[in-house]
Amino acid sequence: MNTNLKISNITKIYPGCIANENVSLEFKSGKIYALLGENGAGKSTLVKILSGVIMPDKGEMFLNKNILKLNSPLDAKKNDIGMVFQHFNLFETLSVFENLIIDSDETKENLREKIELIMKKYNFLINLDVPILNLSAGQKQKVEIIRCLIRNPKVLIMDEPTSVLTEQETSELFLSLKKFSEEGILIIYITHKLKEVMQLCDEVAVMRKGKLVSVSEIKNENIESLANKMVGQNLKTIKKKKVKISGDQLIKITNLNFISEDPFETNLNNINFSVNRGECLGIAGISGNGQSELFQILSGEIISDKNSIEFNKNYIGDLNPQERREYLMAFSPEDRLEQAANPQMKIFENVALNNFKSSNFFKNGLINENKIKEHAKKIISNFNVNTDNIELKSQFLSGGNLQKLIIGRELITSPDLLICFNPTWGLDVGAINYIHETLIKINEQDKSIILISTDTDELLKLSDKISVIHKGKLSKIMNAEEVTSEKLGVLMGGGEID
Amino acid sequence: MLKRLPQKNLECLWEEEKLIKIVKRDQPSRAIFFLTPVLAIFLTLFAGGLIFYILGFKPFEALKFFFIVPIADMYGFSELLLKATPLCLIAIGLSFCFKSNNWNIGAEGQLTFGAIVSGGVALLFYNQEGFYILPIVILAGAIGGMLYASIPAILKTYFNTNEILVSLMLVYVSKLILDYLVVGPWSNPEGFNFPETRQFSDSAKLPILFEGLRIHAGIFLALAAVVVSWFVFYKTYLGFQMKVSGFSLKTAKYAGYKGKKMIILVFLISGACAGLAGVGEITGPIGQLHREVSPDYGFTAIIVAFLGRLHPIGIIFASLIVAITYLGAETAQIFMQIPKYTGQVFQGMILFFLLASDYLLFFKIKFTGLKK
Repeated sequence: MNTNLKISNITKIYPGCIANENVSLEFKSGKIYALLGENGAGKSTLVKILSGVIMPDKGEMFLNKNILKLNSPLDAKKNDIGMVFQHFNLFETLSVFENLIIDSDETKENLREKIELIMKKYNFLINLDVPILNLSAGQKQKVEIIRCLIRNPKVLIMDEPTSVLTEQETSELFLSLKKFSEEGILIIYITHKLKEVMQLCDEVAVMRKGKLVSVSEIKNENIESLANKMVGQNLKTIKKKKVKISGDQLIKITNLNFISEDPFETNLNNINFSVNRGECLGIAGISGNGQSELFQILSGEIISDKNSIEFNKNYIGDLNPQERREYLMAFSPEDRLEQAANPQMKIFENVALNNFKSSNFFKNGLINENKIKEHAKKIISNFNVNTDNIELKSQFLSGGNLQKLIIGRELITSPDLLICFNPTWGLDVGAINYIHETLIKINEQDKSIILISTDTDELLKLSDKISVIHKGKLSKIMNAEEVTSEKLGVLMGGGEID
Repeated sequence: MLKRLPQKNLECLWEEEKLIKIVKRDQPSRAIFFLTPVLAIFLTLFAGGLIFYILGFKPFEALKFFFIVPIADMYGFSELLLKATPLCLIAIGLSFCFKSNNWNIGAEGQLTFGAIVSGGVALLFYNQEGFYILPIVILAGAIGGMLYASIPAILKTYFNTNEILVSLMLVYVSKLILDYLVVGPWSNPEGFNFPETRQFSDSAKLPILFEGLRIHAGIFLALAAVVVSWFVFYKTYLGFQMKVSGFSLKTAKYAGYKGKKMIILVFLISGACAGLAGVGEITGPIGQLHREVSPDYGFTAIIVAFLGRLHPIGIIFASLIVAITYLGAETAQIFMQIPKYTGQVFQGMILFFLLASDYLLFFKIKFTGLKK
């Protein structure tokens, strides 16, 4: 089976930005292609065009020399193009089999036989009759892949497939992908992770700002060269200096338990840890293992037992976020658009969300707009937020700028402890660097950080101590120097190390 | 081999002949935000004229009967204000709910219950006079509305029920309670079994503003509500918290606001406004409780709130416009022998066209012209 997929001069223009500009590429079966680029480089747009979700403004596509016109995702399916999206499109409460049969026209018996054949061939171990919500992220992804394989695809597109997987699950995925490729399926692998490209792919196309900047074979590239192509400039590497810290204990969590009424939340089981001044504690884990619940308990969105959290010699477990801020804690949640800020509010209004008694944003129950605006301007200039209009609605800030605004808002009051959850999630390399530098700076000023993150590299770079959360339980706390990403991978998957 | 294909000229590819193109807007336009209600009104007039034409009337004449004749004299104008007052008052209250994504559909019920409570209080004083009676009656109406609105609010916040269903169903409960009271225990002992209560004493009635007209002091309640709501929503910390809670409860929680209390609060405000509207209906010109205290003002106010873009000033205009449909329907019934329910047709059309033209908030139409 020889497949040749060619796209020529694809252009897609969104209001205010050119998502794809004259992108022309040719893919042939038997190889794994990487489509590499930062967030906002236009990868996702291209992928959406290839899978029929959106239509290009200009340009043509050819599949085996025949013109390919995709008006809907259904057309892509008909043309044997399979797609696994970053976010799973599965019904959590239905069983695996029910999820698979939804968009299939085959009889139950035939389909089951076919699925079992596929699972045997690629060594997938999934119980077809359990509901999706009982599966791990890796297994869910396999279900998505099986869904594509049922249709004997010629092309399989994977959009950032490893963002929710452990190291071990990732290497399993890579084995399967290589097998598919040997069997003649054309694989297009979209990512911004350079290591994976080097590990898996044969050829790599790099995109930047909607344009194709280079196409090359992997053997002629290395991580640095790809990174520079991706960012378009030479990146400086950040390193954390070891500084002498005073070492007084700042926050101590004792016997913290949380039992949720919501079946989709994770219960926390006997969490104990402490963080000293000037220290960064990293908490690793695959998303959905209790990080969000832990963050909410630390921030006060979920109230816990008064004595379970001791901060600066005060017991604060029963205080809400606003009250905790008075004790000089600051919080940067994962969800920038739904939680940390509101895209429909103006920049200065979002600044007012972090409100102290001493900040005087609200006097006698009235809004003190001048004070808030003054404060917002200070944040914008101190934290390099790329705008000078504080009346702008926050939705017009890029992810990086919004995150700078949020981190700035939290830090400008110079809190003793910053608790952040995936602070660089979905940001471009430039913004990530800035945030990382900022976080290191805080530690140097003898302030502390609790960094909950799913990005192992980030944790290894910034943390002094690391622990792993798995199914609501925290592993022992390790010194960062002793930890490797492999070790973390084992713990994140629920394994044990000595 | 993966390689870059030669780049073709952009122009020659992929040009479909389209006369009209629909393009997404970069950002919702502020001007369009306030223009679409106007557009909706014109479309309603046009569609209304068309309906009249199909029914065999001269469209312009019919529209004149509907929209101009009723407010051509002072009496008509005062009637317009009379109808607009409860609409404006209720819509202001509803705007608090709707802005914070709480879908209170039961203002009609809150109005009715407010009328019941204030009517009950007014009946207690039926043979007394005194300056203190009216404030107590008004307060009772507001409290009645609040009590009734607190039911869906508490069920929503503590038991996760759907406020749309609960508030809507409670409308019918309150109407039946009213029905029971005016027919049974509260009916006028000297009223020959008519389904109505005694007349309230003059001290329990809102003063009439002009001799011979029906417009009463309730209009000041509505205007006060406009000013207060504008101030609260745009200038106070409380308003800011409501705004944030409305956009996202998660954000509110993160900021440390008490999101659930905010939900209950907006329902209470909304209920109080509807209750006050109920007070105005019974203590105004009528001066007694009877079966039909409101010609569905509570439901129509939903249209008013949206037509006014949930903004206090917008709501004033919207309430005047929608009030005309009430009056127009009556004149049309008298002079053209069309059922007065035509008024509801017009109200429905306004909402319909408003929702349709809201499409223009996010998309613009481009005329590209014919290409060869």
